[in-house]
Amino acid sequence: MMSTKPSIAPILVGVICYALILGPFVSYMSKKPIEEKLGYVPSLKVIRAMSADQKELTAASLVMKVLMYFGGLVPKEPRTTMKTESPDLLGMSRLLHGAVQLDPYNVDAYYFAQSFLTWDAKQFKIANELLDYGMKYRTWDWYLPFFAGFNSAYFLKDYPKAATYYKRAGELSGQDLHKSLASRYMQESGRTDLAIAYLTVIEKGERNQSIKKDYQIRLAAFYEVKRIEIARDRFMAEHGGLPISVEQLVQLGLLAPAPADPYGGRFYLEPSGKVATTSKFAFATKNK
Amino acid sequence: MFNIIQVTMKGIFRDRIFQSIMALGGLFLFVPSVASLSMRQVSELSVTLCLSIISFILLLLSVFLGATSLWKDIDRRYTFSVLSLPVSRSYYLLGRFLGLSLFLIFTSILLGGMACVVIKISSTLYQSPAGQPLVWWYIVAAIIFSTLQYILIIAVAFLFSSVSTSFFLPVFGTICVYFASSVTQQVYEFVKSPAAVKMVAPVAKFGAIVVYYIMPNLSGFDLKVNAIYSVSPDIKGLLITLLYFFVYTSILLGGAAFLFGRREMK
Repeated sequence: MMSTKPSIAPILVGVICYALILGPFVSYMSKKPIEEKLGYVPSLKVIRAMSADQKELTAASLVMKVLMYFGGLVPKEPRTTMKTESPDLLGMSRLLHGAVQLDPYNVDAYYFAQSFLTWDAKQFKIANELLDYGMKYRTWDWYLPFFAGFNSAYFLKDYPKAATYYKRAGELSGQDLHKSLASRYMQESGRTDLAIAYLTVIEKGERNQSIKKDYQIRLAAFYEVKRIEIARDRFMAEHGGLPISVEQLVQLGLLAPAPADPYGGRFYLEPSGKVATTSKFAFATKNK
Repeated sequence: MFNIIQVTMKGIFRDRIFQSIMALGGLFLFVPSVASLSMRQVSELSVTLCLSIISFILLLLSVFLGATSLWKDIDRRYTFSVLSLPVSRSYYLLGRFLGLSLFLIFTSILLGGMACVVIKISSTLYQSPAGQPLVWWYIVAAIIFSTLQYILIIAVAFLFSSVSTSFFLPVFGTICVYFASSVTQQVYEFVKSPAAVKMVAPVAKFGAIVVYYIMPNLSGFDLKVNAIYSVSPDIKGLLITLLYFFVYTSILLGGAAFLFGRREMK
């Protein structure tokens, strides 16, 4: 009669086979094309329906997928600074846009998307559109307008827009840097009146004396700009063209006394007639 | 009826389905390490994961225990011995339902307590300067409403169980109702939107609206966003949802009791 005692041999054979196949399998998986690694994401309508009441978890897993994928591209050799392969930025953008559609509050998605969309993909407008979308939901978060303000000023050179974003960031965070940047970009965009009004309000509300002093200096500079603008406009009304320089306005008696930049710079007129200063509304830093 | 509730509770604790599902609670241990992978929302991600685990466990419990409770009794012929006692079929069904509901509440309290500890630990790892501080009341409200949602799902499972002779219809029927009920609100909003005028035929639109009114609307019970991102919920809306829960569950139980009472048992 045959023994019915179970043998361990089949399990051992199975484990050995598994160990043999594991190496080639891991190697195959790590060499998979980028598109396959990042994966195909079905239509958002399908994901939304299938995720039922787990939309936030689904969104977080999409973000995590992108983060893991991007993190995997960073070379393991510390001396190497180049990534081993170029990332699939379009695929990453698609996934993160999908994530914020599922969970419009997910800040990781906005933070990471705006980062690579601007610096890597050069898609500045798309980045700001995404941040605008996030601002509709994350109404307390000053990061989003702060990022959008930076993108507008630095990449898009859209100073009026930058001023608007920084103003919002300043209101939400209460941070002086944001308020200061907002006023600077308002002036840069030719809206000196608005910049003065904005700075006046925050200067009055400031309790820290050194920061208050900083606002007052900036405000004083903007008042000087405003005086030059009024004189320039009078000159244009009288002569039908732009003045050659600020000094010409002083010489003609349209600007008295001569404007002084509290930052130590010299006011001048740009070819467009815009008032600018060599200090760029900041104190010069000494080079050691 | 109290005896039936007691027997139901005892039966569940001995049930292997319960024991295996509760083992999923071990997932809480991994929450802080997974949440720490987030760049700017560690505590938010920990709340997301905890609420998802609770929701998932409650879904499994409500579907499998809710759909198999009556069926098992009938299959093992326990129903005959119980109904030979001076207990009406409706009382028996209601006792079973209340037993399961109490058990679900007990499970939620247990899992909720575990979740709060895990969230507290995770929130010490990183706090975003632009993030909202955790509001524990919102997290508790999300767990309460999630529990109510799955009690309603138990009532759906009981309605199917009251007419079905196998466990297939209660299990798969309840799962289908759960998925459909999670999207009815979106479908309703879509068919009511101007974009749907050209895309959706009037008959289909009418059908979608009818389905919306008939099917349970589970979207109202989902307070995850409020809990995760500390977004204040609408108290009036919560009270209406609570009322909706009582009315809808009563209708389902009434229907289940009616069908179960008329059911021929051999």
